[in-house]
Amino acid sequence: MALLEVKNIEKHFGDTQVLRDISFSLTEGQALAIIGSSGSGKTTLLRCLNFLETPDSGTIAVRDKVIFDAADPTTQLEGEVREKRLHFGLVFQNFNLFPQYTALQNVTLALHLRDEGNKHREAIDDRGRELLEQMGLADRAGHYPHQLSGGQQQRVAIARALALKPDILCFDEPTSALDPELTGEVLKVIRGLAEQKTTMIIVTHEMAFARDVADEVIFMDEGVIVEQGPAREVIGNPREERTRQFLSRYSET
Amino acid sequence: MEQFTTVIGALNVGFYQTLKLFFVTLLGSIPLGLVVSFGSMSRFAPLRWLTRTVVWVIRGTPLMLQLYIIFFIPGMVLPGGSPWPAGYSGRFLAASVAFIINYACYFSEIYRGGIQGVPAGQQEAGLVLGLTKRQIFFKVTLLQMVKRIVPPMSNEIITLVKDTSLATVISIQEIIWAGKAFLKSSHGYSGLMWPMFFTGVYFLAFSGVLTLLFDALEKKLDYFK
Ligand SMILES: Nc1ncnc2c1ncn2[C@@H]1O[C@H](COP(=O)(O)OP(=O)(O)O)[C@@H](O)[C@H]1O
Ligand SMILES: [Mg+2]
Repeated sequence: MALLEVKNIEKHFGDTQVLRDISFSLTEGQALAIIGSSGSGKTTLLRCLNFLETPDSGTIAVRDKVIFDAADPTTQLEGEVREKRLHFGLVFQNFNLFPQYTALQNVTLALHLRDEGNKHREAIDDRGRELLEQMGLADRAGHYPHQLSGGQQQRVAIARALALKPDILCFDEPTSALDPELTGEVLKVIRGLAEQKTTMIIVTHEMAFARDVADEVIFMDEGVIVEQGPAREVIGNPREERTRQFLSRYSET
Repeated sequence: MEQFTTVIGALNVGFYQTLKLFFVTLLGSIPLGLVVSFGSMSRFAPLRWLTRTVVWVIRGTPLMLQLYIIFFIPGMVLPGGSPWPAGYSGRFLAASVAFIINYACYFSEIYRGGIQGVPAGQQEAGLVLGLTKRQIFFKVTLLQMVKRIVPPMSNEIITLVKDTSLATVISIQEIIWAGKAFLKSSHGYSGLMWPMFFTGVYFLAFSGVLTLLFDALEKKLDYFK
């Protein structure tokens, strides 16, 4: 059974069509990498999954339950969208940590706000510390974002997204805003999550990483899925000419 | 010595009017500025352009001229005559209205900068964590806006301290008016020059206190970037 089933998603911004007939599914415990050149619609796709953009048509189902149907406004009620979002977590390219909160507070804010009557205050803080420890940041819990390196900030952001136990964790180029020497620590953490069978969608330009860590790869170009298949095949031995061209540009640079 | 005490007494009375105008202006313009800033960011284009035009006119003309206009023009065009009550209280009311409108327009631009300066990613990060719009405003963006707003607000508020003296053009008896009165004659003295210059000490002391307060506030918000 597919954990996530995306069908026929289309998205326009004004007159330009950014996503065309996007369909794919994702099995629980798998990691899906999405590759493709800049402007191909990868970010928009992740934003659609997280209800930050509303697709013009198509459906999104999690565990066989349709949580979004462009043709059915009752699937888009504001109060419910807020809960449906929690199926997904999103790690942004530029972290978007809350600057006025410490690393620990960033991780636990949403949990505390959902904890009516503050009954589980300590348990939540413990969970936050545990997540930071898992990210290798046990000693940074009390630091504010501006006191952390980019790689550390991104790991806090990953812990923050994990805190709500999303079914599917999405990454939008999690290392693109980092200095090259800092990408390794973030990729290592994501690799660890894959080993623990976290269901993930990872938009990335790190081809070797995608090949080694992802189970499936989707190659997107100009808003369409050009090629989709097992990671080693798509990246190691692509069928489509456009994929081949894209990958060769990558191995050159 | 007796002269000094008398003059200080008179200056204190004037300074009380200065303070009154200062605080009334803040009390009115800080919230009104927020309303104006919402207007200038409205998604409804006519409202947005109307608000921005008003802000442009108010910021583009001297406050002194606005004081004259608000005090005199209504009486000239309204069929019922001047809406301002007769006497000093009417003049003070007119001055307050002019100051509040003027400062609300300046504050609105500061607020707009503060609100729009918070990156959209902050709101989005809150949304994907399942926070409500209300929670996002109060728990995520508000403090970041305040941090952006405090330095320009403190500049503007210290300018207001000095601007209050403009109200003398419609005979508000603020401190410079009180000091100048000793040139002609006041409290049995005449031809005294120094009381007018001495008012500067009041302005310096008051803006000094405000500077210290705002510096402390900025320091308090310095723990995050
Ligand atoms: N809010 C928006 N308004 C208009 N156009 C947009 C918006 N967001 C993205 N686009 C356009 O959609 C296309 C896909 O963008 P994006 O999803 O960010 O691509 P990618 O993440 O693959 O680089 C680009 O041409 C981009 O300019
Ligand atoms: Mg992108």
